[in-house]
Amino acid sequence: MTDLMNSKKPQWWKSPDVKKTAILWAVCTALVGYVGTEFHVRSIVEPASETMSGVIDLMRIFTWAAAPVAGLVFAMCLTVLTSKRHYGDNPPAEADHQISNSPRANAVWIVVSALLCLFALITGLIVLQKDSEAVLESTAIQMNVTGSQWVWSFDYPNGARSEDLYLPVDKPVVFHITSVDVKHSFWIVQMGIKMDANPGAITEAAVTPNKIGVFDVRCAELCGLLHAYMQTKVHVVSQSDYDKWVTEHAALEGRA
Amino acid sequence: MSVETHVHHEDPDVVGSRNRLGVILLLVADVAFALSMVFVYFYLRGQNVNDMWLPAATEERGAIVPLSSGPAWTVTAIAAFGLLSHLYALKGGREKNQTQLKLGSLVAMVASVVALVMQFNTIANAPFTFSDGAYVSCFYLFTIMNFVHLALTLFISLGNWNRARLGLYASNLWMVDIVRIWWIWMVVSSLLGAFSLSYP
Amino acid sequence: MTTLMSKPVSAPGKSIIERLNIVTALVLGAVSAFVVWRLALQFLPGDTEVRLFTREDKITLLSMIAWFVGFMTGIGALVGPFRWLMGKDLSHDENMFLAGKDMGINRYFRYTTDHKVVGIQYLIITMVIFGIGGILAMLIRTNLGTPEGGWIHPQAYNSIVGTHGIIMIVGTIIMVTGPFGNFIMPIMIGARDMAFPRLNALSFWLIVAAAVPLIWAQFIGGISTGWSAYNPLAGQAPLGMNGYIMFICIFAISTMVAGANITTTIVRMRAKGMTWNRTPIFIYGIMASVALALPAFPVFFLSQVMSGMDRALDTSFYNTAGGGSGWLYENLFWIMGHPEVYVILIPAVAALMEMAPVFTRRPLFSFNVAVMGIAGISGLSVLVWAHHMYISGWAPLLNAPFMLTTELISIPTGMLFLVLVGTLWRGRLWMTMPTLSIFALLWNFMIGGVTGIYLSDVPADAFLHGSMYVTAHFHYTLMGAGLTGALAALVYWFPKMTGRMFDKKLSWISFWLVQIGFNVTFLGMFTVGLAGQPRRVESYASTFNTGNMITTIGAYVIMVGMLVLLHGVISSWRSGEKAPMNPWQAKTLEWTVANPIPLENFDVLPTVTSDAYGYGKAQS
Repeated sequence: MTDLMNSKKPQWWKSPDVKKTAILWAVCTALVGYVGTEFHVRSIVEPASETMSGVIDLMRIFTWAAAPVAGLVFAMCLTVLTSKRHYGDNPPAEADHQISNSPRANAVWIVVSALLCLFALITGLIVLQKDSEAVLESTAIQMNVTGSQWVWSFDYPNGARSEDLYLPVDKPVVFHITSVDVKHSFWIVQMGIKMDANPGAITEAAVTPNKIGVFDVRCAELCGLLHAYMQTKVHVVSQSDYDKWVTEHAALEGRA
Repeated sequence: MSVETHVHHEDPDVVGSRNRLGVILLLVADVAFALSMVFVYFYLRGQNVNDMWLPAATEERGAIVPLSSGPAWTVTAIAAFGLLSHLYALKGGREKNQTQLKLGSLVAMVASVVALVMQFNTIANAPFTFSDGAYVSCFYLFTIMNFVHLALTLFISLGNWNRARLGLYASNLWMVDIVRIWWIWMVVSSLLGAFSLSYP
Repeated sequence: MTTLMSKPVSAPGKSIIERLNIVTALVLGAVSAFVVWRLALQFLPGDTEVRLFTREDKITLLSMIAWFVGFMTGIGALVGPFRWLMGKDLSHDENMFLAGKDMGINRYFRYTTDHKVVGIQYLIITMVIFGIGGILAMLIRTNLGTPEGGWIHPQAYNSIVGTHGIIMIVGTIIMVTGPFGNFIMPIMIGARDMAFPRLNALSFWLIVAAAVPLIWAQFIGGISTGWSAYNPLAGQAPLGMNGYIMFICIFAISTMVAGANITTTIVRMRAKGMTWNRTPIFIYGIMASVALALPAFPVFFLSQVMSGMDRALDTSFYNTAGGGSGWLYENLFWIMGHPEVYVILIPAVAALMEMAPVFTRRPLFSFNVAVMGIAGISGLSVLVWAHHMYISGWAPLLNAPFMLTTELISIPTGMLFLVLVGTLWRGRLWMTMPTLSIFALLWNFMIGGVTGIYLSDVPADAFLHGSMYVTAHFHYTLMGAGLTGALAALVYWFPKMTGRMFDKKLSWISFWLVQIGFNVTFLGMFTVGLAGQPRRVESYASTFNTGNMITTIGAYVIMVGMLVLLHGVISSWRSGEKAPMNPWQAKTLEWTVANPIPLENFDVLPTVTSDAYGYGKAQS
């Protein structure tokens, strides 16, 4: 058994196909990393919160972390594909060698993938920790969200109620989400948060909008006939506009 | 319990060990099923959604009081007796005592009938309707599934007794041995149910 | 045991075994369903509760159960058990009859026990399933071609999505282990048949029996809940839901039976000398797949039994008003649901691993790592289910541990890549459709795998979950990797299964059409997912126009490619070039038997002295 990375010649890296692969590896890694991140960043929505920017950053990081692995696989494939190919109905001559194992290559591969896995885990945990702490923020606006077939309704702390959501900019919000019939999923698209609305239970999600504008709320869990139409808008406005709006709407509900 | 046949005859021991593995694998599936039932029971009990594990009294009906798990344990005990009789039969078979083999199989079969009838009575006489909360749902799930298991046991023990009676086990006993595995699982699964129902 | 039978059962005229076939099964099934339906209609008490549909649900479920029992009786599934009960085991002649001896084409329409017949039956039913699922997919894509699409009613659309989902899942589960696991596997390990030939027939006919409730469901409201049939939505869905419940229950039994049968065959019946080190990697793939399904599907079965009880008996397992929990359903569903994707994937990848040495003329690279990878994936896959529930809110504290297990699974998955790439490296490439498929798998599975890393990450999943991104991701793994492997397996083993070569030109044309169409379709779908389009919607905001248009165009290209493939299968089967015994010069045992394969495969059982990967020069 000869070693994949250590054939009889001591300087295995001087063999032409290894050199070719090395160059292709560099090219493929760059391509995968660049095209992969661009593909994601260009298609993804404009972020309207820290959380969403964080998601986009995560995708960038993960794509670049995966790029060398994908690049190596693609580079080796390209080297093989561009070497001598045999067409025809009968098999070609046997390959020149009989390498059937390489402990070193295996070890390197497994260690590298374990490290990448660890890296992904740690990166994710850091962000996850931040997200779960956000729910505990005491100064946040406490908002009740109720999903029903097929509308969202929002209850504000002062008793106001609406079917499209108004939020002040740069102020943390905690959503307490439930459902009255089947399972829905509350998704503020541009803010990168999503949490299921379960009948008989209350779930929580938190976000701080950081951009004034109008954004989308969609239901992300099939909830029956008009699931596709179960969507509404989030209006992120300045603090003063928000205060004015909730006071007016609380009055409409006769609770102010 | 399929019987191996080929033009090219195979050693009964080989066939027996193959059948035994097959049955054990099928039981793996059944074990997964039974354990998920236990999971369902304790999950719903722990969640107690809307306090409806055991609903309180309303205007239309009184509070739901869980049944004693006594009948479930009794059924398990009868099943265990069936297992013991089967073991007795197997022992007889090993000692080339055909009478003991036939007698043990017969008693095991009768035990499965008794357990089946008792299980049926528990279900039929339960003072609930199906919509009486999560505990009642689980109660019916466990008792009905145990009933199905017992019905299968009846089929198997009936066949086993009949084959013993016809003298088909004269030369080798691997099938009786496999029936023993089923009996053990019957007792264990019934036990799992009785155990769960003891914690309403 | 047969040797103990003193005299064969005398059969005046035709015995009952000889009379039963698919016609008696259909007739008996239909008659019993009708009778039970009529009786239930007559005698079941009306609803006293507030719930409206309970009585209808009872009637529907009872009729479907009656169909099932009738059909299975009519096909002859109960003959064996009752003969056992009566102590009159099947005689050798009867078993030969059941194996389809000298029966010609008729044996495909009976309870035939020969594994080669069952393999072909599975192949045909898989193709039918993919045909129907594909038509449904084209309806979905056509409806989504324009934003306000809407020429399909939302109820019908939801039902199409659900039906497409569940039958494609079933189709992909059986696509490798069914046809090739039954036809090829026993020969590959040097056995004369499966360990339990009658269970083998049973597993196939259960799928046929299961198909009818699913078709039935389409006429009584459809399956409007998606393939996952989440409760409580499934509780309020139309009567068609009962068809789904019956379908899953019957299919779960089939999977369980097939799993026990195939595992026993592999463990107990390998040829003399075929140690675990010399067992082909495809066998490992098959075994991992069915052994994983064995404990997983009963959980699914239970979840549907409870779903049926909730509907028909008004119990409250999932109904929150009565103390049930939707999270319970989600847990049970995904405890099955995640192992199930590896049930689909592993045998397809293993099939390509089996082909890689043949088409590179060099040994498989790192057999041990391949086995470790398969074992690692199987082991970890039962511990990752809750990554489907990161945002369900059932236990936020468990998100981190499930993220850990999910990301760990990338290590054994990486091993599979290493084995494939290592085998290609410095090989003498023989360009065939299966060879191309290896490269296609590496490409598609890489995309499916890397996007899986984003989805495994809780914060990123909070954005991506439930969007079209997820749909694209799992199509990349199940179709891009899984189906690619299955199609390669079809072309590779076609000569052995049909005795004719698969038309080379057609296999290439369809390969390129399917792969290009596939990548266009699902790369397009990734973009709309990132832009925020939820799954399972029948209309969408106009910002998603372009991506959806691209996806729909890609889907039509796949359809053309699949039609070319279908044409290839039919024309090659009917009039293809006669295949030599070993067209690929491969070294596994299935290529050592003659075409057509004799009833019991081997006259003398083979003895194995080395592994099947002894390719390459310079033996050292």
